[in-house]
Amino acid sequence: MADSTVLSVVLYLPVAGMLAIAALPAGRDGAVRALTLALMVAQFLLSLVLYAHFDPATPGLQAATRLPWIPAWGVSYLIGLDGYNILLVMLTTFLGPLVTAGAFTAVTKQVKLFYAMVLLIQFAMLGTFVAQDLFLFYLFWETMLIPMFLLIGIWGGERRIYATIKFFLYTAFGSILMLAAVIYLAWSLWHTTGTASFAFADLYRARLPLETQQWLLAAFALSFAIKVPMVPLHTWLPDAHVEAPTAGSVILAGVLLKMGTYGFMKLGFPLFPDATRLAVPAISILAVVSIVYGACLALVQTDIKKIIAYSSISHLGYVMLGLASVDLLGIQGAIVQMVSHGLVAAGLFLMVGMIYERCHTRELAAYGGLAKVLPVYSVFFLVLTLASVGLPTTSGFTGEFLVLLGAFNAAWRESAPIPVWVAGLAVSGVVLGALYMLWFAQRFLFGAERVPHGPVPDLDGRERAILVILLAAVFWLGLAPDAAMKRTELAAREYQELVARRAVPAATRLTVAAPTEATR
Amino acid sequence: MNFTAVSVAMAPEHLLLAGIVALLVLEIASARSRAALPIAVIFVGAAAVAAALLGASGWTGSPFPGQFVLTPPAAFAKALVLALAVPVLLFSREDFGEGDFYPLLLASLYGVCLLASAQSFLTLFLGIELMSIPVYVLVLLGYRRPESAEAALKYLVLSGTASASFLMGASLLYGSTGSLGLASFGGALASTDLLARTAVVMVVSAFFLKAAIVPFHGWAPDAYEAASVPSTAYMAVLVKAGVLIAAARVFGTAPVAEPLAGLIAILPIASIVWGNLTAMRQPGLRRMIAYSSIAHAGYLFLAFLGDGPGRFQAVVFYLATYGVMNLLAFAALPAHDDDVERDRLENLKGLFHTHPFAALAIGMAMLSLAGIPPFPGFVGKFLIFRNVIAAGYTGWAVIGLVGSYLGIYFYLRLIQFMFMSPAAAKAGHAPSRGVAMGASLLCLAGSVAVAVAPGLLLSRL
Repeated sequence: MADSTVLSVVLYLPVAGMLAIAALPAGRDGAVRALTLALMVAQFLLSLVLYAHFDPATPGLQAATRLPWIPAWGVSYLIGLDGYNILLVMLTTFLGPLVTAGAFTAVTKQVKLFYAMVLLIQFAMLGTFVAQDLFLFYLFWETMLIPMFLLIGIWGGERRIYATIKFFLYTAFGSILMLAAVIYLAWSLWHTTGTASFAFADLYRARLPLETQQWLLAAFALSFAIKVPMVPLHTWLPDAHVEAPTAGSVILAGVLLKMGTYGFMKLGFPLFPDATRLAVPAISILAVVSIVYGACLALVQTDIKKIIAYSSISHLGYVMLGLASVDLLGIQGAIVQMVSHGLVAAGLFLMVGMIYERCHTRELAAYGGLAKVLPVYSVFFLVLTLASVGLPTTSGFTGEFLVLLGAFNAAWRESAPIPVWVAGLAVSGVVLGALYMLWFAQRFLFGAERVPHGPVPDLDGRERAILVILLAAVFWLGLAPDAAMKRTELAAREYQELVARRAVPAATRLTVAAPTEATR
Repeated sequence: MNFTAVSVAMAPEHLLLAGIVALLVLEIASARSRAALPIAVIFVGAAAVAAALLGASGWTGSPFPGQFVLTPPAAFAKALVLALAVPVLLFSREDFGEGDFYPLLLASLYGVCLLASAQSFLTLFLGIELMSIPVYVLVLLGYRRPESAEAALKYLVLSGTASASFLMGASLLYGSTGSLGLASFGGALASTDLLARTAVVMVVSAFFLKAAIVPFHGWAPDAYEAASVPSTAYMAVLVKAGVLIAAARVFGTAPVAEPLAGLIAILPIASIVWGNLTAMRQPGLRRMIAYSSIAHAGYLFLAFLGDGPGRFQAVVFYLATYGVMNLLAFAALPAHDDDVERDRLENLKGLFHTHPFAALAIGMAMLSLAGIPPFPGFVGKFLIFRNVIAAGYTGWAVIGLVGSYLGIYFYLRLIQFMFMSPAAAKAGHAPSRGVAMGASLLCLAGSVAVAVAPGLLLSRL
């Protein structure tokens, strides 16, 4: 099979799974679970083939499929792998089976619909990553909202309706302005170069006046920043995380939040380089505010899920800082940090789900001394905590270290796009991160024994298997990040070049250019 | 007048006429017959196929020069409208097993077809009246409560006002240009002559009234609510399609200039915002759809800001996506003994537990109407806003898009009711029946086709 076929199979397996689940008679919950897990495992194994065949030395798209779709508008069905998305695709397919298996005992009502939605969101997330056409990207990007809306709204906690509608309306607001920007961008490309196309590669060639770039960047950035989320657009995240079922939280923290940073990396910054360079100081300050503010908020939470939710805001701040640094190490670090946070946060949310299933509370104060009662659970939890803190040998260290290095490189560059104090402040996030996570673990695992609804059984085989697989990936990325980073290096260089280039029209062309919105 | 041309070009209309005659004969021959539905479906289906074939063959001509013209896009528009009528017929069986519903519906469809081909204000007026008059009766036909009579009368009076305004505009136009051809309207758009401008405003307000654009929208919620579900679906989809196609015929490809552009932007945007905001507070599905359709009329009229040549395409494509999804919602709505209780949103709570297919279908329809991808409604909205931006009205497009955002909440609320609430204690919906299910599947198939291959339809309009 050609790689492009494999990629299509990987992408459409979940859709086939949804149809198969719909065809299953009601009441066959066991069959639904087994079928979903089998599909997810098959999808991951197939994506390993793609990963192995991915050639780090070839620039551009690999395993690509291009079909004309709406030729009159220049919309094509174009999917493919490149250095930007290869690791994120792997992260998505890797987490798929773990999410599925993790929900086996937690979800007992409307099982058919639940797994259909898990498969649908898997499809939409993969589609968003592999889409190389802006129209297609937007389609997948918005489609993600629907299954997540139902996942939180049907299987969530007490305030699930409020949380899910807030989630949907928040993210949809960003998207609607992005839609206007998408249309305007494609129209300007057609207007200035005569190319009717939505393909990313063509859109990079659009020549836009600085003011237009700034407007469009603002529209894209709003949508992406809500998704990341960056302070001050983060208020939907704690609600969504707390009310979501475990699987929803895992998907949200594991993959969905990376959509925002991926969007910035693939679209927002490279499409509007001149506006981006002007915005870098502001973006880096917001990123550091996210890091520090998220960490401070995590410090004072009493709800276990909220601690991890706010830690996500903090960790994704590093990704934004790395992207804003436009330094090779920083960018590479940002990509690693995305994957690392995907693994670690997913693991932590899975573990919170496991304890919640047993004890039915997320109040931190209700727990204590779990290390004595649930030794296996506690060991896994501690390791994940250390990975979240960024202990060397874990993936968290690789990501954060490279990002900070990149930020200081940028701060010491002649133009100093990132102020030194901003980079310095980012380091304090590491300390704060260690503080809130270790304090959390100390109160949770050690001290006087407090187990609500105890005594409770320790982790069973299924749960141990999930966590072992997850930790293997965490250590693999911490000990041998080279293989993964080699695959992203060309993309990081391309990103650097794209953001460094001038995309405003040359002065001579400005006079002949057609009227823009400014003159209308 | 060329006999072949008349019989070929008007084949869809002739088939509808034959259907009406057949239905009337049946009515005389037997008082209660179950054959009415199949006959109506066959004739409307045949008319749709005939129109599609005419369009595919590229037949262009004017059997009545200056009055009636057929071009491939017009033929495809007719095929589309007629195809949309088929599900309406199918799910009307729940409410109208036999009787006057079918001949009235076919007569009204005849009017819609005439509108798509009209070349002069006279034919257009004929089409509008042919389309509207049976609908007044259709609203009353579901007479199950006193408000129906009031709503029908309200609709009749306001629609009559619109017709009067339209005629007045047409005669003023005749006075200023000496022609009743639709082409004279394009000239009047650019004219600074007071008479021509007045004519344009009167004609446009007639369309606004018929399509329920704010502030001419007051009749729509009452009429939609009072009519039975199939009649509501017919009004929301096909009458709206007829009015918009007529408007697209009248505007032709002429560019819209200031100050008319302001009028054409502000009132539709007011409709989008007001329709979407008010829809949030409605207790029943029909009333909610009425306000939603006020908002959708707003999007449709925004399309007139776009460049002329793409206008007809944008309007008809949007009507296709909007129509098929609206019909899906109505077709899937389970039957109920009490017409008022049937679509009360409270009673739809937990519908997924009792009628999973219906809930999924209505849910998809709502998401599509909200313009959420991957449903076809998104492509329609994309096309309209693309044209508006390409014409240089970026500001209006952004305001319109933000207005469309306001609509997301009430569509989501219905999904929340159906999927996330416990089942209503005494909803009392009957189990889904075969014919209605068939109608929903038909709509679903149509929407999937449009979503997967929008290019196929676009290239023909």
